[in-house]
Amino acid sequence: MRGNRTHREKMRGGKRGRYGMKSYLDLVRISAKIRRKQSRMTRLCIVLAVFLVAAIFSMADMEIQSQIYQVIQSNGSWHAAFQGIDGQQEKLIRARAEAENAASYTMVSDGTEGDYLIEGTSAAVMGMDENLTEMMPAVRFQEGGFPDSADEAAVTESVRGQLGLEIGDTVHLTSSAGEELSLTVAGVLEDDSVMGGENAFGLLINSKAVDKYFSNTVESGDVTLLVQFHRFCNIQKTLDDICGELGIDPALVGTNARLLALQFQSNDSGITGLYSVAAVLAVLVTVAGVLMISSSMNSSVARRTQFFGMMRCLGADQRQVRRLVRSEALNWCRTAIPIGLGMSVLVVWALCAMLRAISPTYFNGLPVFGVSWPGLAAGVLVGLVTVLLAARSPAKRAAKVSPLTAVSENAGSARQVRGAVHTRLFHIETALGIHHAAGSRKNFLLMAGSFAFSIILFLSFSPAVDFMNHAIKPLRPSAPDLSVVSQDNTCSIPRELAEELRDNPVIKKVYGRSFACAVPARAGGEEIQIDLVSYEENQFRWAEDAAAQGSLADAEAGKGVMAVKMNAAREFSVGEEIEIDFTSGTKTVNVSGVLNESVFHVSDGSTVLICSEELFRELTGQTDYTVIDVQFQRGVTDRDVEKIRALAGDSFTVEDNREDNSEVRGAYYSFALFLYGFLAVITLISVFNIINSISMSVSARIQQYGAMRAIGMSSSQLLRMIAAEAVTYVVWGMIAGCAAGLLLNWKIFGLLVTDRWGDPWYVPVSAIAVILAVMTAAAVAAVKIPARQIREMSVADTISAM
Amino acid sequence: MEILRVEHLSKTYGAGEARVDALQDVSFTLQKGEFTAVVGESGSGKSTLLNCIGGLDTPMSGKVWLDGQDLFSMKENQRTVFRRQNIGFVFQSFHLVAELNVEQNIIFPLLLDHQNPDPRQVEEILEVLGLADRRHHLPGQLSGGQQQRVAIGRALIMRPMLVLADEPTGNLDSGNSQDVMDLLMKASRYYQQTILMIAHNEHLTTGVDRVLRVRDGRLTDLGGVRA
Repeated sequence: MRGNRTHREKMRGGKRGRYGMKSYLDLVRISAKIRRKQSRMTRLCIVLAVFLVAAIFSMADMEIQSQIYQVIQSNGSWHAAFQGIDGQQEKLIRARAEAENAASYTMVSDGTEGDYLIEGTSAAVMGMDENLTEMMPAVRFQEGGFPDSADEAAVTESVRGQLGLEIGDTVHLTSSAGEELSLTVAGVLEDDSVMGGENAFGLLINSKAVDKYFSNTVESGDVTLLVQFHRFCNIQKTLDDICGELGIDPALVGTNARLLALQFQSNDSGITGLYSVAAVLAVLVTVAGVLMISSSMNSSVARRTQFFGMMRCLGADQRQVRRLVRSEALNWCRTAIPIGLGMSVLVVWALCAMLRAISPTYFNGLPVFGVSWPGLAAGVLVGLVTVLLAARSPAKRAAKVSPLTAVSENAGSARQVRGAVHTRLFHIETALGIHHAAGSRKNFLLMAGSFAFSIILFLSFSPAVDFMNHAIKPLRPSAPDLSVVSQDNTCSIPRELAEELRDNPVIKKVYGRSFACAVPARAGGEEIQIDLVSYEENQFRWAEDAAAQGSLADAEAGKGVMAVKMNAAREFSVGEEIEIDFTSGTKTVNVSGVLNESVFHVSDGSTVLICSEELFRELTGQTDYTVIDVQFQRGVTDRDVEKIRALAGDSFTVEDNREDNSEVRGAYYSFALFLYGFLAVITLISVFNIINSISMSVSARIQQYGAMRAIGMSSSQLLRMIAAEAVTYVVWGMIAGCAAGLLLNWKIFGLLVTDRWGDPWYVPVSAIAVILAVMTAAAVAAVKIPARQIREMSVADTISAM
Repeated sequence: MEILRVEHLSKTYGAGEARVDALQDVSFTLQKGEFTAVVGESGSGKSTLLNCIGGLDTPMSGKVWLDGQDLFSMKENQRTVFRRQNIGFVFQSFHLVAELNVEQNIIFPLLLDHQNPDPRQVEEILEVLGLADRRHHLPGQLSGGQQQRVAIGRALIMRPMLVLADEPTGNLDSGNSQDVMDLLMKASRYYQQTILMIAHNEHLTTGVDRVLRVRDGRLTDLGGVRA
């Protein structure tokens, strides 16, 4: 063992020379070991910057990869769909170098017009190239496989279920003209794949079968060519080229918009807006990192002016001093970057695990222990760039230190001061504190700038919360966990069922609605059709937020109806009269108010009127419900739900929404957690930055403070002096940060929210209040920590401290 | 052999009422191997003189030739490299690199000049300095006198034309001061090293080849005082 160690030492000596140094830059390595404590704060700054960037980029990358996976699973991996092209155009598109994969499909019949029947049931018939299954993972075979020959077909699960077909059996397709085509079943497709939903009959054939049996009936518009382009080609430009060169109408070219957006290939203004916002935020994070590290390094340089002066005296030129400072910074990166990356990986794992646990369906694609290499690369790159950029100013500053500094104690500091302290307005200690802050313009700009950036960063991120509130709708209070729905949309669910459900202890709320659909009516001399819907007290409470005009109370009391504005074919005003032709006779109702939206889904072009249950009964004579919604207590079990299903019987459809609700709730909370998490990290960085910067500034002047104590400055005076310095930085930082931050907040809010949902910008008072309060608290802490240290030091120690 | 020639050197700080003539028409020469002390009151201009000769400060007028080369006709970078190779500094407060051991501190100027240290030369200097058994000690583990000896070793390692020492015993007690003076003297004799030293105490001029006095920025040559 001993021999091995000696050998290693010799080897090390060989590499670094007899004296453990082969270059003056080896000082960095030696110094780093001994001065670890002094550089701790700067290294922590780098760790935080790398962590923040790597975590943001990793999470964004993971989310994008997960979304791409989901989009490919549901929509397919194709990028563009060319419809109605001829054979020659198809060949030319397939032959293009940018096309990685291309396959066509033909919709022989969509099954809605009864062109083709299987055993008397209307069937959708689709032909496709086999390689289309590579681009459409949604084409899933439950059994068997893709039909190889023109006389084979794959049927949907429902066809097999209802007709009892097996692989190898024959399926008979009859056209409306009476022609019959017999095909051998080669595979069974899952019902929820591409051939319609549950209960739909679907038949999949290959392209040869289309040519053989349907060439006369198929038109060019029925054929679609799906193309997947190479990952790194400019897809939008390629599409423009194809359309231009082949004379294809761009209106006939569809795109897989979500996939394009996720692969950064979209030219949609909303998506490019999101890209630019992400870029701006990434730049802001980098700049915040640069300012944070730079101010920390500047303080470190300020403390060591005599050292740099000595270096210059010994003959180090400015370039060598700059290299030394840069090497120091890069040397810190050797440990700080891996730590930052490691922290980001752990946090990303924790966040991914949490997101998957909260919302399994929504975040299913997120890996368990995934590592985002682009995220880590971004962390390393931004870490290095940040450090090198941050080191520029301190390196220049160090290089400019005069060699005279080494031979004269005052030479360095005397040059930084631009003027004498103004003592007319403040006490000497306060004036000195302010002067310390503002004395060096560059230092002041860096310090106040780094504080301002914390605010800018916070205010720039905060519109993302508004974006989230729109993009991911929180679960409405009215969302039912379970609905009992009439199959024919009539008032056929007995009121007694609602009463029975109310008595069930696992049920928290029961609220029913009665519908009278498509009733002829007249308003203002105009013939219309209305849907009359009854609300009970719960639904009237939930509707309060949606009330736009008039009186909801009047409608609840049966004195009128509320007109729903959302998706309405016609808008009503309060007081307007509507004559409704019920089977029992024409009745007139007053519009007592207008609701922006309803608690249930309203299809486009409907005219929905909401009334009380009593009025509904009075108008229609109906007492039963069309829908009964239920909200459960916590801890409801599947068995409880089964009991309710049994109670409702087979005559009604029972929709269990518990999982969907939990997904929506989970998606919202997890996204909120993600966003607020990063806002919290930004806030923490602000706190850390303030405490660190003030502490560094105090350390740089510690000898001066010691001298002041020696000549009679009291501890409280010293505290006031440091406080005045801190307040100067923080106040100016706050002013500049709020001004620039509000401007960016307005711009980003416009891109993220106003452009999409039309909401006007508002002054983010709460966000400003939070960040200013945090910064004030941090400034107080920043003053107290070094002041306590100085108080506890002996004057002699303080003077001699370096 | 003439090593240093200073001609009509003047340096003024401030203007108007605050004007201070730190150096006024200072001229002198130093021969190779000459050990010269500069004495004078505090604020008389002796440090300014040393800084101008070392190329650390720029005079208002006048010339400084070191080994026939005009220091102030060089560009800043050239002057830095020239200083690195031809002038050694010894500071009052040592200015050793706290993280480097004795050996490393001594060879540091060589590394700045991208030279490989010659182990025999390092060994010899350590022997002369009497620090051979402390070669791996950090400055914090040495006495003030020992630290100043390391600083002298660092100044000598490049075999410079001229060593400038700014009150090298200013921070030392009398015992250590004498040790340092003996060492400088030894270097002057042993290596034929030209040394220009600012002395805060006239007693320290005992044994030097020549003494220059600076008063109100003017220089007077007091001649040789060597016993």
